[in-house]
Amino acid sequence: MDITRRQFIKSAAAQSAVTTAAVLFPGISFGAWKNLDSGGIEWKKTPCRFCGTGCGLLVGVSGDRAVAVKGDPNCTVNKGLCCVKGYHSIQILYGKDRVTTALVRKNGKLVETPLKEALDLVAGKMQETIKSHGKDAVAMYGSGQWSITDGYVSSKLFKGCIGTNNLEANARLCMASAVTGFLTSFGLDEPMGSYDDIDQADVFITWGNNMAEMHPVLFSRMLANRKAKNHVKIIDFATRTTRSSQASDKSILFKPQTDLAVANAICYEIIRNDWVNRDFVKKHVSFHKGKTNIGYGTQDHFKFKDKAETVDFEAYKAFLEDYTPEKVEKLSGVPAKDIKYLAALYGDPDRKVVSYWCMGMNQHTRGTWINNLVYNCHLLVGKISEPGNGPFSLTGQPSACGTVREVGTLTHKLPKGVVMQEGARKLAAKIWDVPVENIDPKPTYHTVEMFRALDRGDIRFMWIQVTNPMVSMPNLNRYRDGAKKDGRFLVVSEIYPTPTYDVADVVLPSALWIEREGFFGNSERRTQHNEQIVPMPGDCMSNTWQIMEVARRMGFEKQFPWPQETYVEDIWNEYIQFHDTPKHRMAPYKELKARSGIQWPYVNGLETKWRFNAKYDPAAEGDSFDFYGKPDRRAWIWLRPYEPPAESPDNEYPFWLNTGRILEHWHTGSMTRRIPILHRAAPEAYVEINPDDAARLGITSGSKVKVSSRRGSLTMKASINGRGLPPKGMVFVPFFDESYLINEATLDAFCPISKQPDYKKCAVKLERV
Amino acid sequence: MEKPKHKVDPKVGKIFLVFAGICILALPLVVFSAFSFNTQAKETALIEAPSMDFDHNGKAIFENYDRISREYIESTSTERTLAEYYARRQYPGSPPEIPHPLEAHGIDLECLTCHANGGWTEPLKRITPLTPHPQQVSCMQCHVWPVTDKLFREIDWKSVPPPRLGRAALPGAPVPIPHDLQMRGNCIACHVGPGTVTAIRVEHPSRGNCRQCHVPNTSTQPWQR
Repeated sequence: MDITRRQFIKSAAAQSAVTTAAVLFPGISFGAWKNLDSGGIEWKKTPCRFCGTGCGLLVGVSGDRAVAVKGDPNCTVNKGLCCVKGYHSIQILYGKDRVTTALVRKNGKLVETPLKEALDLVAGKMQETIKSHGKDAVAMYGSGQWSITDGYVSSKLFKGCIGTNNLEANARLCMASAVTGFLTSFGLDEPMGSYDDIDQADVFITWGNNMAEMHPVLFSRMLANRKAKNHVKIIDFATRTTRSSQASDKSILFKPQTDLAVANAICYEIIRNDWVNRDFVKKHVSFHKGKTNIGYGTQDHFKFKDKAETVDFEAYKAFLEDYTPEKVEKLSGVPAKDIKYLAALYGDPDRKVVSYWCMGMNQHTRGTWINNLVYNCHLLVGKISEPGNGPFSLTGQPSACGTVREVGTLTHKLPKGVVMQEGARKLAAKIWDVPVENIDPKPTYHTVEMFRALDRGDIRFMWIQVTNPMVSMPNLNRYRDGAKKDGRFLVVSEIYPTPTYDVADVVLPSALWIEREGFFGNSERRTQHNEQIVPMPGDCMSNTWQIMEVARRMGFEKQFPWPQETYVEDIWNEYIQFHDTPKHRMAPYKELKARSGIQWPYVNGLETKWRFNAKYDPAAEGDSFDFYGKPDRRAWIWLRPYEPPAESPDNEYPFWLNTGRILEHWHTGSMTRRIPILHRAAPEAYVEINPDDAARLGITSGSKVKVSSRRGSLTMKASINGRGLPPKGMVFVPFFDESYLINEATLDAFCPISKQPDYKKCAVKLERV
Repeated sequence: MEKPKHKVDPKVGKIFLVFAGICILALPLVVFSAFSFNTQAKETALIEAPSMDFDHNGKAIFENYDRISREYIESTSTERTLAEYYARRQYPGSPPEIPHPLEAHGIDLECLTCHANGGWTEPLKRITPLTPHPQQVSCMQCHVWPVTDKLFREIDWKSVPPPRLGRAALPGAPVPIPHDLQMRGNCIACHVGPGTVTAIRVEHPSRGNCRQCHVPNTSTQPWQR
């Protein structure tokens, strides 16, 4: 190993001597450094544009240009540290192919068009579609990259004014199982704890989660805690060996989907060893079971509704008999002793435990169940809702919580409550100043079904903002073909040309991030404000303002009256009326503007760091825990069994396909790939193959491999002993690269409760090309 | 070490005897080294320091200064130029890219074996520069290794020029610190020793309390009542 490395470096050194001159100034024009005056850099705060961590940045501004970034030392999330994406984030503003004018498709080609004309066309087309095909033929699709005001006005326009529940967001593909997990276990969405837990826990257990690459700033905070205290342990529980596995104290691999069984086995062991916190369970927990054999949603019009049945502790104990560590070892490949070790970590009353997860558990055909099962591990031992103890669901997008989950830009949601509740509809109608009959009590389509409806022709008009579904949808071939069909009209608000832009009929130029004022909300219930720091280029306009322009053209001036100078503040003041209770009160505009983020519930000038615990949460009653989200004021333990995935490897397609992100690129790469240093570090996607499988198939690193599933195939370079190491029988492909659309191969099976697709498990075959 | 045991073999006795002898001879050495200058331990202490911020944890900076030998500090050979230094950065103060290949595997805690200590690196035939923030161990969170010179799309990126050097207020007066100190409060990492860039190396490296004379230049506005 040592010798190879030395040889490696030696040969590289020889090579680098030859190319030194060329290497000196690649990618950036050094001359351009002198174009701006260094005299007066002014630093302005903003949340980072990328992941859900919600790092505070200080952006250095010279003249009207953003020129530098440093971590905001006043932001408790990152305390002055960023990751490589954050440090170079401002470069996303300056790609030369930035969309700065409106474009309208004429004779098959996108043609530059005056913005007013394009907005007239959007409003006219929407009205025409409603007239000819009904209100449920128009839809809007956004994401957790929406600023809170963008999501709020889209909900008001679609649900309140037009009267359709055709409003969805990329967060369905990302966070839906976390939401249904929270709702089924606790009755209220979003984590009970906060990032302060990272400094106080003794044990971190990460479930299918590569934090070193996806949440690097939080991972560094974990490493710092471990360094400061010798006893701190990080346990990586995953299906693939990653950078996080290598930095962990122990890496435990399981076979895809068997996390369900292992979580139950952990609980079995906790009970068998009498590690149950009986007092906590007696006072604060109740037991429930739901339907089983619940399907996978691969058929159009799939419907499922769970039904809860209350049971007792004895029934739960009997249910767990199927999950002894020895039985689960056979299914999961996790040695019984490792299952017992995990149980002992959860069970040890002297250790504080935090569990982290993100897409591994959420993008799962039993995503809601696995969220419930990890909560079970914490609830049995009472390690929840207090400093250093708790389950914590991480998010992938900067405002998945702030905009999608809190504003409720999903088909069944309203800013407070769901469309099915009369009270929620009445409250929304009152605040929005619309007749209550406008708000349809029936949800329509979740994301996958919405794109199926577009393919079928049930939806004729779709407006897509801040996301790139023509890269990110699973089973992509069907949904791209559907979007391109005659009689479909697609409006895309974009900042750069993308595969979604390519299928648009109208492209609206959007202002990006610090080019407009807005708010994000991160994973730990923190609302973060940014002012407009640099001017908008060309005809660009904030997404909020685009929606308002179209709404006014459709005759809803009364509902969208705000002037350009103050509309962000005005919308905030209207929106927070929805959350004006101690359970969810948001901070006032002035304070958000002044501070580097504030956590809700924000009551009497105090943030809430731990919910459901009367010591910290103003909404909790009594003197200890109060899980007030559920009618019985208890947290719910669910009896959720193991069920197999929708598609597993077989003789014809013998490999698991796992997909995901890498450190350098964020989501579909349309921003990060335009940042020179990130593209140069990770220029293209690849397929990671286990060295044994590669040797057997005669595949070498860098050679071309055809990856095929029942839905699609693509040819790309193999990566062997690269950054990640999949186990035998699995391959991994990152999805950031629009030249290698791995989602043409993935399967659109989803969790029947959350409707979130599983991007981590389907069957593929490999062929040497 | 594997020790043979419970076997009736005359060789075993001899091996034990030799082993015991070595132990007795080694004992004074162990005791001596425990009470003498122990670079290894000091390095560990340095890396474990929570931050290198002069105002809040100046001790770490002074300890760092202490552990570095006088020979290193006063050494002047270097081959890096200021242009090379800045060419690795997208703007003054951004995390520099990694200029040499590395093992892509792992989180690369190995970076610090060279970059926490400096000195000559035989495989690269170069002198290793020091990191100003060795307390941060997840190096590849911010530093990446480019594998291509090509861009995905062209960019219209403009940065400010690097700070001008030698802007003393009076002839011969100590220059103010022209750059931001966040993550870069450990002066000697970049301003003394053989791994530094000549243009920014100080002429009096043995003086350890840099901030006695050099103050940050945080405002360009003159004071007004």
